[in-house]
Amino acid sequence: MSAEVKVSMDLSLDQYQLKKESKVVKVLIYIGLALWTFINLFPIYWMFTFSLKDNKEIFGENVAGLPKHWLWSNYTSAMNTGHMNVYFVNSIIVAVATILITLIAALMATYAITRMAWKLSGTVNAFFMMGLTIPIHASIVPIYVTLSRIHMLNTYWALIVPYAAFALAMAILICSGFMGDIPKDLDEAARIDGCGVWGIFFRIICPLMRPALATIGIYTFLQCWNELMFANIFNSKDALKTLPVGIQALSGQYTTNWGPIGAALVIATFPTLLVYVFLSKRIQESFIAGAIKG
Amino acid sequence: MKKAKVLATLLAGVMVLSLAGCGSSPAPAATESPAPAATTEEAAPAADTTAAEPAAEASADAINLEMWCIATESDSNRHSYEAAIADVTAAHPEINFTWEAIENQAYKTKIKAAVAADEMPDIFFTWSCAFLGDFVAADRVYCLDDAYQNFKDELPEVMMGNSTYDGKHYGVPLTMNIVGLFANMDILSEVGYSEVPGSYDEFIACCDKLVEAGYIPFGCAGKETWCVTEYLESVIEKSCGADVLNDIFLGRASWNNEDVAAAVDTFQGMVTKGYFDPEGIALSNDEVKANFMAGKYAFYMNGTWNCADFSADADFGPKVKVSEFPVINADKAKLGQLIGGPSDTLAVAASSPNAEAAAQFTFELGRLICHYGYLDGCGLPAWTPFGDTSNINPLTQAVSEICAKADSYVLFGDTAMNADEANTYLSYVDQVYGCNIDGAGFVSGLAADIR
Amino acid sequence: MNKKVISTINIILFLLPALILFVGVLIAPIALSGYYSFFDWNGFGPKEFIGLSNYRELFSSNAIGFMKALRNSLLLAALSVFVQLPVSLGLALILGRGIKGERGFLAVYFMPVLISTVVIGQLWLKIYNPSYGILNVFLTKIGLESLTRIWLGTPETALGACFAPTLWQYVGYHMLLMYAGVKGVSPELREAAKIDGATNGQVNRYIVIPCIKPIIKVSVIFAITGSLKSFDLIYVLTNGGPLHATEVPSTLMINMLFLRNRYGMGSTIAVMLIILCFAFALLINRLFKEDR
Repeated sequence: MSAEVKVSMDLSLDQYQLKKESKVVKVLIYIGLALWTFINLFPIYWMFTFSLKDNKEIFGENVAGLPKHWLWSNYTSAMNTGHMNVYFVNSIIVAVATILITLIAALMATYAITRMAWKLSGTVNAFFMMGLTIPIHASIVPIYVTLSRIHMLNTYWALIVPYAAFALAMAILICSGFMGDIPKDLDEAARIDGCGVWGIFFRIICPLMRPALATIGIYTFLQCWNELMFANIFNSKDALKTLPVGIQALSGQYTTNWGPIGAALVIATFPTLLVYVFLSKRIQESFIAGAIKG
Repeated sequence: MKKAKVLATLLAGVMVLSLAGCGSSPAPAATESPAPAATTEEAAPAADTTAAEPAAEASADAINLEMWCIATESDSNRHSYEAAIADVTAAHPEINFTWEAIENQAYKTKIKAAVAADEMPDIFFTWSCAFLGDFVAADRVYCLDDAYQNFKDELPEVMMGNSTYDGKHYGVPLTMNIVGLFANMDILSEVGYSEVPGSYDEFIACCDKLVEAGYIPFGCAGKETWCVTEYLESVIEKSCGADVLNDIFLGRASWNNEDVAAAVDTFQGMVTKGYFDPEGIALSNDEVKANFMAGKYAFYMNGTWNCADFSADADFGPKVKVSEFPVINADKAKLGQLIGGPSDTLAVAASSPNAEAAAQFTFELGRLICHYGYLDGCGLPAWTPFGDTSNINPLTQAVSEICAKADSYVLFGDTAMNADEANTYLSYVDQVYGCNIDGAGFVSGLAADIR
Repeated sequence: MNKKVISTINIILFLLPALILFVGVLIAPIALSGYYSFFDWNGFGPKEFIGLSNYRELFSSNAIGFMKALRNSLLLAALSVFVQLPVSLGLALILGRGIKGERGFLAVYFMPVLISTVVIGQLWLKIYNPSYGILNVFLTKIGLESLTRIWLGTPETALGACFAPTLWQYVGYHMLLMYAGVKGVSPELREAAKIDGATNGQVNRYIVIPCIKPIIKVSVIFAITGSLKSFDLIYVLTNGGPLHATEVPSTLMINMLFLRNRYGMGSTIAVMLIILCFAFALLINRLFKEDR
């Protein structure tokens, strides 16, 4: 199947314009699409506007319009009281480290599973795939106990290691899809040239896996960026909190003052969206590739 | 000198509280125990002198102590913690003290996970009775009997009752609080009341008038069930009497009690009559409290720790009065039967490498947190007050007067029961508030489901 | 040393990092959870072996309400499969056929996937706020005041109010997967069908959808296991309330573990969750196979 379903975003399909359909259907389709666009964009727009308003505007005078007075002080509150800048950096650190570890572990494991001939490779692959369905919360206390025994609580590692473990299954899945596309003849040629297994892996396979790396990186990034429960329990130090925990804490502090919460939400969201706007094609392709290669 | 007397009698009244370990027992009517001299002159030795003394004996090596508590930046106790910590750490340069505050709900998760992993901080905040009791039963808490000897004179032993298990003391109490009926007198005067009605019939008549005039009588956060219990427990207590409720909470009597069922129906009647803000069910306590302060409700029943925040608001403070919920059935209950008691507690982990120093430090810290908390109006002191207490806000003073006349205290149900039972209880309270079950369903369900 | 030994050593070395991570963080804790599920234990005190009692209590006790929680998450799964996925498929088919503004629509529809669940939860909390939320304000403005609700506070509406953002957020995700599939259908195949006089609907029905079946299968598995595992959004929005109306197995589990100190029972729920997720994944695989 995967051979047929090639990622081909640029394929121009003008031969399938909506010629046969009546104008009415066409208009209806566009109305539907526009409506769904609105449903997707409006909450984000509303979040942005209320992050710049005071309660008076949010609660009555000006519910959905652009702010009358652009209240940037909400952002200062979110940074100073809410420490959103610190949490932002923490989230980045955790995400980047998790991605690196996941990539290395997944590449190596996939290489062993798909390119080294041995009896149990299928079983081991199935074993890793179990990880796809395991809910992350099911193992929270045993992991907590283990982390505390090895004195890793309240460090970045307390999040990085479990996140990497939970991202592994998806990463291996994606990797095997991509690695399957690399012709085995390359290995053979390298072996004849006197390359060892490690040489083949690092010099031939790794460079060819670059598109897979992007896909895995994005998947893993989203997972770490969003996770709340582990982050809440494994790190109690303010200096190490990640964005989701910080937002939850801030919303507890400002239950009745929406502006700073809105500002925090924007801080946690807009950088990702900004990156997305510039790289949207790449990100979409990565997602598609991830799903199809599996 | 009225205040001094009030304080003394308050302590006398509280004295009897919970000698039986966890929970409470009836207190003799607070009698005319001679008031000690005015608090100002007789102030106990200033904070740092007591603090410094035992410190000198401690070893010269730096000791690391870590504390977890729930006094986050938005918590009304924040200031008292900061002030107390500043004083105690100044007096103990040899102790390297670090602390962090975690939001209430997250803290419960965190401290339990830490206990499970035996990774507790040296000193930790806890609720008394069942919450701490589980940890004590697992041998994770350091016994404070020895350290307590140095503070006996300032901390009445009865105040330790809720953190005493098998006759041993495990917790340092901070403040004690009761449930108060806060009233916005501006709204009451709109319907012709200048005082909070003292009898139940008048009280109901007042609520009816409020509803008629378009006011919402009660604000209650349905999203946080403990807020509902503040109302429900008061209604049950004032219908059935403190002993009945207390015996049930402590597992000495069955929930299957017709009087309790009838009281629950009384409470539900208030809900169905529209006394409660229907939006309250989706709101958190902070939001409800903000609504009350914004004049949306006539009454707000909640812990007396709110006195600080209410008084601190220059506009709102003068409008509020605090009183006791009226007696519903005078045959079984009477005024002076209150819900509350010392619950906020500090404890020391058995696993702490410096448990002995931590115990001493905790007492000194607890004493000052109590002191500053009392001055701030965050509750009544569990410790004998010292220093100048003349500036304490009028609401807290009114609470002391209520407590001075206390007959008995029943500790908050969800603190008195163990975690599993408390959550079953809270889930039934939820259903009563949501009118899913009536009083009979409440008592029979609880009788069957509490293990 | 002979070649075979070297290659065995290499295999082990290559697998080692992943295995350590996977076994240490996933498998061992879950095995431990399975073991603890046979005990009455509060997480720190002494353990008491009680055999299958936790499982029996889980399925019979009304106080725990596991069946209700399970029903809720199955309902969410059903909604995902029968509402969310068809919407995604519809969008994918329309966009995949190539219309003006295709890329723009695609980009916008995918946006919610990139937003953190906590942010979405907090945002919808504000949208649903009974007094100031945009939803009630909007309804009032257009004269439908009778439709305003305390969305998250009324048991009748809370479940739906929790599910709406979940479904909304991931429409874009499934759409993108299916879109890729639609784009991958060979143009010649379409062209041939068109020449034979097939309408767009027929092309979709007989050519495109059969071609992207494997992707639909992946989507269905993700949608169902995702629904069974759902936690963050409900935790932020209602934490299972009001009156347990929005309880799902994960919220129950956290409740048991950390509020009720019933570690044995919490572990039992964890085990049940894993079993359910596996069972559904297998079932769906089987269904799609027979279909072929």
